[in-house]
Amino acid sequence: MLDDIVVVDNLRKTYGKGILAVDDISFRVHKGEIFGFLGPNGAGKSTTIKILTTLLEKSSGKATIDGLDIDADQAQVRRIIGYCSQDVGVDDDLTARENLLLQCSFHHIPKDKAKIKVEELLQKVRLNEAADRRLKTFSGGMRKRLDLASSLVSDPKVLFLDEPTTGLDPQSRQDVWEYVKQLNKQGVTIFLTTQYMEEADHLADRLCIVDQGKIVAEGKPNELKANVGADKITLWFKTDDLEACEKAVKALSNLQGIEEVGKCVVGLTTTEGLIIMTKNGSAVVTQVVRALDSAGIELEQLKLTVPTLDEVFIKLTGKTLNVIERKEAVHRGRMGMRS
Amino acid sequence: MKMEMISEIVAIFRRWNTKLLRQPIFLFFSLIQPLVWFLLFTQAFSAIGDIPAFKTLTGTNSYITFFTAAVIIQTIASSALQAGIGLVNDLDSGFMDKMRVAPISKSAILFGKLFSDAISTIIQVVIILFIGLALGVNIASGLLGVLMILVIAATFGIAWSGISLFIALTTKSSQTTLSVGLLTTFPLLFLSASVMPLQLLPSWVQQVAKVNPFTYIAQAFQNLIIRGFVWDSIGYALIAVLIIGVISLGASILVFRKKIS
Repeated sequence: MLDDIVVVDNLRKTYGKGILAVDDISFRVHKGEIFGFLGPNGAGKSTTIKILTTLLEKSSGKATIDGLDIDADQAQVRRIIGYCSQDVGVDDDLTARENLLLQCSFHHIPKDKAKIKVEELLQKVRLNEAADRRLKTFSGGMRKRLDLASSLVSDPKVLFLDEPTTGLDPQSRQDVWEYVKQLNKQGVTIFLTTQYMEEADHLADRLCIVDQGKIVAEGKPNELKANVGADKITLWFKTDDLEACEKAVKALSNLQGIEEVGKCVVGLTTTEGLIIMTKNGSAVVTQVVRALDSAGIELEQLKLTVPTLDEVFIKLTGKTLNVIERKEAVHRGRMGMRS
Repeated sequence: MKMEMISEIVAIFRRWNTKLLRQPIFLFFSLIQPLVWFLLFTQAFSAIGDIPAFKTLTGTNSYITFFTAAVIIQTIASSALQAGIGLVNDLDSGFMDKMRVAPISKSAILFGKLFSDAISTIIQVVIILFIGLALGVNIASGLLGVLMILVIAATFGIAWSGISLFIALTTKSSQTTLSVGLLTTFPLLFLSASVMPLQLLPSWVQQVAKVNPFTYIAQAFQNLIIRGFVWDSIGYALIAVLIIGVISLGASILVFRKKIS
């Protein structure tokens, strides 16, 4: 299809002695969307992104970017993509401006154009004031912003971001999210991997949930969440009255759209409350309140919980995403010694 | 295509030059290390110059004059280590991936670095020669001879760096690159005609020295410093450079062209 800018079919990657990092995956990224790859460490996210960015050889399968084959048309593919690795690929001995100018020369942008471009990018990622400082003094967030900017010098059609906010503080994470959205608004298709479900939820138009080299689910975040089911409404009553509770259960069970109503036990009002499972929580809530009102039961508290992508993940794989915040990549000391 | 590659090499060459100038430690080591070598060895071994055969074989009775070549070679060899280590740093930092995703040639990435290293080698050799002059070394071949020394030093540096690039690209470890380099430099230096004229070495060492490229580079330097232009020895040195260069750089480019993870 014309609208598919990244087309991946039956992609596989085996490392060394039969370690299957990517296990026969197929997906499509539509032009202009933000497409997410959500999964835990070791799910094969980075391997996939490295194959698509021509850095790593695939074992089998086929992938094209904007109609160009990643193997046969490797050189052209490199002209239309941008890539930010998990490691921040910037040179610490250079200033921010020098880093960007260097990237421009890698993309054969003439000097006068490069200068304008760099100025523009520095503004965009708010590094214009720090432009002539060496990166040694930069914070993690600033370095990531520069990294993003440096992958944009060539005006890529598709931008590949490998865990763009891993190791960043919350403020920097917000910043990166904002830039990614801005870029996407300007027409750049974005493929990003992440182990944070909030990130996938917040950014991705569509996403794949990956685990152990396989795609376990694909769709819009809302669809995925809707599929795992159920929104949860929890009720706490004013009085701990078993009889009143039974009455409420009876009233609620007759409502449309309700899938399951919990049981009444003594002490419900002070403990977990009465739990109602439903497909469409926000629509059902008003009916619930009305039904209780006409039954004469007074509510103390009501809570509506919608499923998160984490729950989707648990349901699909039987385990939690279990994200452990990674410390920012430790910089290996430069071996400056001449012995 | 050709023009693009030149501009790529220039960009990478300039990057490394900038990095070099911003490492004050570079100048420090380029100065201190040859000084230490000059002082330690020439003091400890100064009596070698008094051996009658030394003078007839080398044309000088000053060990320090003879030893200048060894200092230059040692410096080139340790500079060559940096080529591989610089590359490993780029692999670790993710900068290499940025370069590899960009539409530039793999060879440009290597040659930009090698040419920059050649510049730093030239700077270091000039420093060594100045230290030598201050310590009483006289360069028989004059200014043209100095230029010849620099040409041999720079090209040998590039060729020798190829070995360190190859180790770096295959092991991706700066530790390994550094240790292999350090462990080989000393034996190669002492099993060559760098620190002692070939004929004064024990016969088994002579056999090794004859196939050791350091011998031919050292002899070219020694002749240029002590006697003047001896074209035979310059020729041998350049052939050694060519052989090592073709093999080491060819192998490095081959390894580098393969996609790496």
